[in-house]
Parts: sequence; structure tokens; C-alpha cells
Amino acid sequence: MSKGEIVAGFLAPHPPHLVFGENPPQNEPRSQGGWEQLRWAYERARQSIDELKPDVLMVHSPHWITQQGHHFLGVKDLGGKSVDPIFPNIFRYQFDLEVDVELAEACAAEGAKVGLTTKMMRNPNFRVDYGTITTLHMIRPQWDIPVVGISANNSPYYLSTEEGLGEMDLLGKATRAAVEASGRRAVVLASNTLCHYHFSREPEPPEDMSQEHPQNMAGYLWDMRMIELWRAGKIKESFDLLPQFIEEAFAEVKSGAFTWMFAAMNYPELAGELHGYGTVIGTGNAVMEWNLVKAGLAQAA
Amino acid sequence: MSVVCAFLLPGSPLPYVQRDNPPWGALASAMQKAGSALASVKPDTIVVYSTQWIAVLDQLWLNRPQVSGVHVDENWHEYGDLPFNLRIDTELTNAIVAVTHEVDIRSKGVDYDAFPVDTGTIVAANFLDSQGDCAMAVTSNNVYHNWDMTYQLGRLASAQADKLGRRIAVVGVGGLSGSAFRHTIEIADDHIANDIDDDWNKRILALMEAGAADEVVQLAPQYAAEAKVDMGFKHCAFVFGALGGQFSSATVHGYGPLYGAGGAVVEFSV
Repeated sequence: MSKGEIVAGFLAPHPPHLVFGENPPQNEPRSQGGWEQLRWAYERARQSIDELKPDVLMVHSPHWITQQGHHFLGVKDLGGKSVDPIFPNIFRYQFDLEVDVELAEACAAEGAKVGLTTKMMRNPNFRVDYGTITTLHMIRPQWDIPVVGISANNSPYYLSTEEGLGEMDLLGKATRAAVEASGRRAVVLASNTLCHYHFSREPEPPEDMSQEHPQNMAGYLWDMRMIELWRAGKIKESFDLLPQFIEEAFAEVKSGAFTWMFAAMNYPELAGELHGYGTVIGTGNAVMEWNLVKAGLAQAA
Repeated sequence: MSVVCAFLLPGSPLPYVQRDNPPWGALASAMQKAGSALASVKPDTIVVYSTQWIAVLDQLWLNRPQVSGVHVDENWHEYGDLPFNLRIDTELTNAIVAVTHEVDIRSKGVDYDAFPVDTGTIVAANFLDSQGDCAMAVTSNNVYHNWDMTYQLGRLASAQADKLGRRIAVVGVGGLSGSAFRHTIEIADDHIANDIDDDWNKRILALMEAGAADEVVQLAPQYAAEAKVDMGFKHCAFVFGALGGQFSSATVHGYGPLYGAGGAVVEFSV
């Protein structure tokens, strides 16, 4: 078996509004569209996935929150209806996904080796969270690539941000080790919004784009500052700023997905490709790609 | 007064799914005592505020006439399923939803198939009313609401029940101290994670037993901060609001650990 590798990482935020705006058959509510800049950004990311031909999509979701350890979906076939508890009016999605259980188990085992508490989720009645589903739908609506779903342990909130993100760093490194041993070509997906300040009321209809803009200027400026660093490949500098970004912009990257993703990619000082940026109920969202194949850091399919 | 009984209950599924574990079994027995107490006063409707139902934009309320299904806890999935079958008092719910603007809170009903009812609500319903004799009104924990806003929600719920002639049980579902073990433990050895939390929990419970509502309110912010209390102890604010801030005493049916965090079953004398 050849050595596995991570071929790309994507910042792939999960506002359910993007699925709602697209009107796929799996989602019950219908819309008149909306959030096109972000949805078109995901269209470009989908083209990259086509070219990368990964064996597995791995996603770390802040809406599967666990207190005791880092959990991994561990049932091969999971299906059902996932209703967003916060936005049930716009996201009621019939999901049907295949889990790469072997790789998930390997990630859990590697995580345990480096001292993390890890756990496999084996209950077939488990409802997969809307963050996992939205990111996966937006990046690969065909649902034809097996997935690894990882929970967001609440350590960055329960402990300090730095301690929590330290756990995510270990989790990312464990993920990398597992992928390498698996022989898989993996894409890692950080399901995170940037500035997370949002409006407290929803417009009617929710897709009324005349109401959509950044919730506050300071958060917007923070998003642009971070995106500029990522576009320039100044990854270390961005991670030095990450705690301040989290604190001042209430950034959702606190939940750990972004750190997990970069740790899994071994923190390449690589310019990211911004596919698009937009706000959703005022929060800042960027779809960005770090393509390790194009950079010569991974093999083409 | 519309409130015929009132309780604080822990929302953890552990006493429900693994009651043969002694530390959790004691809390399960306490929950059953609360259920018996509730049954004895025959409320029409159980009004539940659960810290585990997180809302962000509005104050959400279940208003689907029948809500049923199987839930799997996000963290404790290995212990199995949590079946539920709730009959919602939509008349009371809609009445409450219609008036929360009076305290500058926008409420919204939730009427969707497969809506993910939270673990805490399910555990409370299954322990307190396992036969489904009572209707329920169930609301969420908006993370941007503070103690005072949550108190007002409880007050309005009670007032609307009064107007409709409902006899209600008011239930705040949530934990006490929040320092949970983050590693796998021998569950038979479960205990409150540290002495500071334990002391705080006992102090607050003793004040409740003494009927010292004002002191509980006064200490709540400090308690919440120092003992990492579940969601700022807002489930208590909801119950206190429904009780008009007064009760003569309380009975602690059980107090114990839930993977290091604190949980108690408290019945208020109304």
C-alpha cells in the first residue's frame, strides 16, 4: 500500500443558509436563492475536489460538541433527517452518508497515542449535525466520497483558548499520521465561520439579501486581515494572531477546526486560494483552499 | 396561583441510561420521587426550560401538538437511545409566545417533523411523566439571555397559565457545578470534580431548603462563575420567575455527580 497523504485543506463554513439558498432536493424548505457569492465560491471548490479525486473527505464540525474527548463517526452508513435546532425553518435535510470507519478508527487510535481522549460513535440512530452536513453538501453534493466526521471537543471553551487549540493541534497531527498509514488521499475540511458576531433577528424572508452585511466593521476588518495573511501564505503569522482574532472577532475558529486542519497539513507556509467571502446573518465566511498537490507537497491522483 | 409544583432537575442522560451505576442510580431514584410528587398534584401541563436546547436568534418554543422520536445524545451515544413522546400544550405555548414581546423578547414556535428535542427535556419528561399523562410546554435557552430575562420568561409562562386556568408544574432542567471529567473514568467512582464545586453546590441547595430565594438570587452570579454552573444557572431563574421569586422551602431529593459535574433534584414548596 502506498503512503497516504492529505492533498488539500479547505476552510469550508457551514451556515445552513447556503444549503437553503441552493434548494437541493434533500432540503425541505424552499428559497428564492441568496448568499450567491458564497455558494458560487463553493462551486469553485467543488471543481477542485473533482480534480483532486480524494478517497475521503474529513470534516471537523463545531456543531457536534462533545465534552468527554474527541469523537468520530463510527457507523458505515448513517442516514435520516437532520433538522437544525437553531434554524429549523431553513434546514431540514435528508442525509445519507458513508463513513470511512477504518480511517476514523485509525484517527481515534492515533489520537489516543498522543494522549487525547477519543471515542468512536457507534450508535446507528445518531443524528449527524447540520455543520457536518452543510460543509459536506456544499463541497460535494453528490455524496459519493466516504467521509470521516469529527466532533468539536469543547476544550477551547472549557479550558483556555490556547490549551484547547493545543488539543486540536495534537488531533490534527494524529489525523495526519492515520491518513499516511491508511494509503488514502484525504481532503481536510475546517467547518468554521470567521467573525461570528451576528444579528439577533432574522429577516423575512430569510434570503432577503438587502439585509445582509457584516454585523460590525471591526469583525469585518479582522476577517480581511486574516484572509490577507492566508492569501499571502503567512500561516505562522496568522496562527500567532489567532487568539487575538478569536477574542476580538468572536471568531468560530476557536472551536478548533482550523487548527486541526493546519496541523493535519503540517502548517505549510502556502498561499491559500480565496474562492469567496460573504456574510450570513452578519457573520463572516470565507471559502478558501490550500491545494497541496498544486504546491508540489502531495501527489496528483 | 397556576403553579402547583416546581422542580430543578439535571439534564444529563446518565441517570436515565445507566441507573444501575450507584452514583447515577441515586439521582434516578430522586427523579422518580420528583415524578411521584408531580403526579400527586395532577398538573395539566409541565412547563420545561432546558439549558441544553440552545437558541440564538429568538426564544424558541415547541408548538407541534405531538413530538415523538428517538434521540441519541451527542456525547453519551454509547449508552443507547432516548425515546420520547411529548404532547404539547399548544394553547398555552402560543399564549406565552404572544406576550414575550412585553419583556422585549421575541418568541417563535417550532413545529417541524424530526426537530431535535434536547436530551435534558427528554430525560425530564421520561422521569417525571413516563406515562405521558400531562401536556408539556417546552422552551429553549437563548444563550444571549441573562438571569433577569429568563426570570421574566418564567413569570410570563406562569401568568399565561393563570389566565388559561392551567395548573402547571414548572421544571428547570440543567446542572449545578460544571467541572466535568474530560477523560474516561470508572463510572462507579464518579464524584464531584472538586471540593470548591461541592461546597458551592451544598451551600446553594441548603439555601433553597431554607426557602432563602433572595440569597440564592444574590449569590447566583458568584456561584455561576466560581463553580462553572451550567449556563449561568438560568434554569433556576426560570423557575424562580414562575414562582414569583418566592417559595417557603425546598426538598433536595438527590444530589450527586454526573461525570464530575453536579446535579440535584430539587422540589420547591409552593
